[in-house]
Amino acid sequence: MTPFLEVTDIDIAYPPKRVVEGVSFKMAEAAIGCLLGPSGCGKTTLLRAIAGFEPVQRGLIWLEGVELSRPHWTLPPEQRRIGMMFQDLALFPHLTVADNVAFGLRSWKAAERWARVHELLNVVGLDEYAQRYPHQISGGQQQRVALARALAPRPRLLLLDEPFSSLDVALREDLAHEIRAILLREGIGGLLVSHDQFEAFAFADQIGVLNQGRLLQWDSAYNLYHRPADHFVADFIGQGVFLPGRMGEGSRVCTELGDIDGIPPAGCAPGDPVEVLVRPDDVTHDDSSPLMAEVVERAFRGAEFLYTLKLDSGARLLCLAASHHNHQAGQRIGIRLEIDHLVVFQRALGAMNEA
Amino acid sequence: MPLKRPSVQWPWHGLLALILLGLAIGLWVATKRVNYEWRWARVPQYFFYQAEDTQAAPVAGTINKINPNGAYSQVDITPANGGQAVSLTVETDTLKVKIGDPVAEGDGIGAQRHWKIGPLSWGLWVTIWISFVSGLIGLFIGLITGLCRLSPNPALRGLAVFYIELIRGTPLLVQIFIFYFFIGTVLNLDRIVAGIGALALFVGAYTAEIIRAGIQSIAKGQTEAARSLGMTAAQTMTHIVLPQALKRVLPPLAGQFISLIKDSSLVSVIAITDLTKSGREIITSSFATFEIWFTVALLYLVVTSLLSQLLFWLERRFARSD
Repeated sequence: MTPFLEVTDIDIAYPPKRVVEGVSFKMAEAAIGCLLGPSGCGKTTLLRAIAGFEPVQRGLIWLEGVELSRPHWTLPPEQRRIGMMFQDLALFPHLTVADNVAFGLRSWKAAERWARVHELLNVVGLDEYAQRYPHQISGGQQQRVALARALAPRPRLLLLDEPFSSLDVALREDLAHEIRAILLREGIGGLLVSHDQFEAFAFADQIGVLNQGRLLQWDSAYNLYHRPADHFVADFIGQGVFLPGRMGEGSRVCTELGDIDGIPPAGCAPGDPVEVLVRPDDVTHDDSSPLMAEVVERAFRGAEFLYTLKLDSGARLLCLAASHHNHQAGQRIGIRLEIDHLVVFQRALGAMNEA
Repeated sequence: MPLKRPSVQWPWHGLLALILLGLAIGLWVATKRVNYEWRWARVPQYFFYQAEDTQAAPVAGTINKINPNGAYSQVDITPANGGQAVSLTVETDTLKVKIGDPVAEGDGIGAQRHWKIGPLSWGLWVTIWISFVSGLIGLFIGLITGLCRLSPNPALRGLAVFYIELIRGTPLLVQIFIFYFFIGTVLNLDRIVAGIGALALFVGAYTAEIIRAGIQSIAKGQTEAARSLGMTAAQTMTHIVLPQALKRVLPPLAGQFISLIKDSSLVSVIAITDLTKSGREIITSSFATFEIWFTVALLYLVVTSLLSQLLFWLERRFARSD
């Protein structure tokens, strides 16, 4: 299968600063992806380059086998057939909801145009608001209008630049699910930019984690969580702590919690210092376990407690325990490690203070 | 203790009334001291006056019959050489003949009066239409220049900056002289055309800056949204950016247009009979210097305040859709 969207080794710079460096990834047709990263990591710039608003200094962007961007050449945004939902929505304040949605359909015949407008307003549940102006509807409704407007001309790909960031958390995930469903139904691919991993998990099948302009990993949410490719991804996705250890024989890693089987990073010799990623759900509470730790902090999460534990060595650990295991700070509790895939990174000297 | 006491307003209104009254008294005393004699009654005739049209006998003959009919009288003249009686209508109080009077051809029988527009009204009209036409042309020039000012093309941008700086850095009076005496002579322009041209170029430069600011005030996202929906840069400008920008710059544009009405008084220096020039001409014949200048000022004030009311209303109407 040839990839639908293909981003190959691109650099984007606002001289003298390089904002995106050597990013490559591929997406299949009608696939839904997400670029995830902290603010300032270059994810929005990357998205804008795909939309055609930023030129690339190096590399290529292809869509459906057609070149969109190369150094010193950028196909104008209006010729890319890529829709975009903006962070500030950018609805046209002087046009009604219906005219906003119809805006991208200027070349269509009137009958087809209005049929499409009503079809989309029905999809997003706003047909009765067609004659309102954007300032006369709520934030969530504006979001839907922006979606309908972007989808109306049947783009090949929809780019979403943190469009949910102005909404409250509950509405955010609902809308992410809803838009995902609409995209799947319309058979349009989507690429979301977000700094919120739960939004990313709710929306996308494939997620790319960016930091400081580099794409660290392009993978499924499951793999990002369980098989992070590097220290930053492991730290950024989900919670967890890095426990220092040392490589033993074969695939054994020796830690203060005992020897654990894991896949050693390439080029690791026995005796090398390593760190082991321990997620809160890898640590279970077991009163009968000989391994003891002191409760330092606890956070009630409803169904469970998130305990911060201190080991005898002083290292910290997070533990997720069912909420009927109610322990106070200062208590010593028994714990057990239940790690399916052990994530081991080579420990650089001086990286000890992380986590 | 209440944080905000209802403030007492009336003493301040009283003070305002006193100050205004003081100014009026001062003015009155000042004119008394120079022994100025106010002749306000002379002013209205310069707005409208009754012109008398003398009705002359078309033929020599005798007045045969005078048939009074209210304010008008019908006068029949029997021609001396025979033939059909000729009849004339004149206003009764202007009648100069009696029945039986002989008249020669061209003798005045009486007059018909009719209202004519006086020089002040005419001058006001000239001021209004010159301002309107130059404002319209200036808006067009400003729009084009404002767009050029934002163009990525350095030649267009440079030209726009050059024009704006040139106009904003020189006095309008000098521009009018240059336009009339230099450009007007070279291109053989009528004085009205030269006056309108100078005003339009002047207002165009200021309008360009207003429009540029308006365009720049529209969020970049609006342009990007339109582009990603398949519009070219030019379509985006006409359908998305300009409609919003023009709405936003309506108040400063209105201010500019109101200024233009006042600035148009300067075209009187190239002998265009606008309101100011009319005022000056009337003073030479009426000697009512104070009255005429006050009247001229009041007329400008009436026009500009009516216009600002209209634009205020327009602005509120437009504001409904944002």
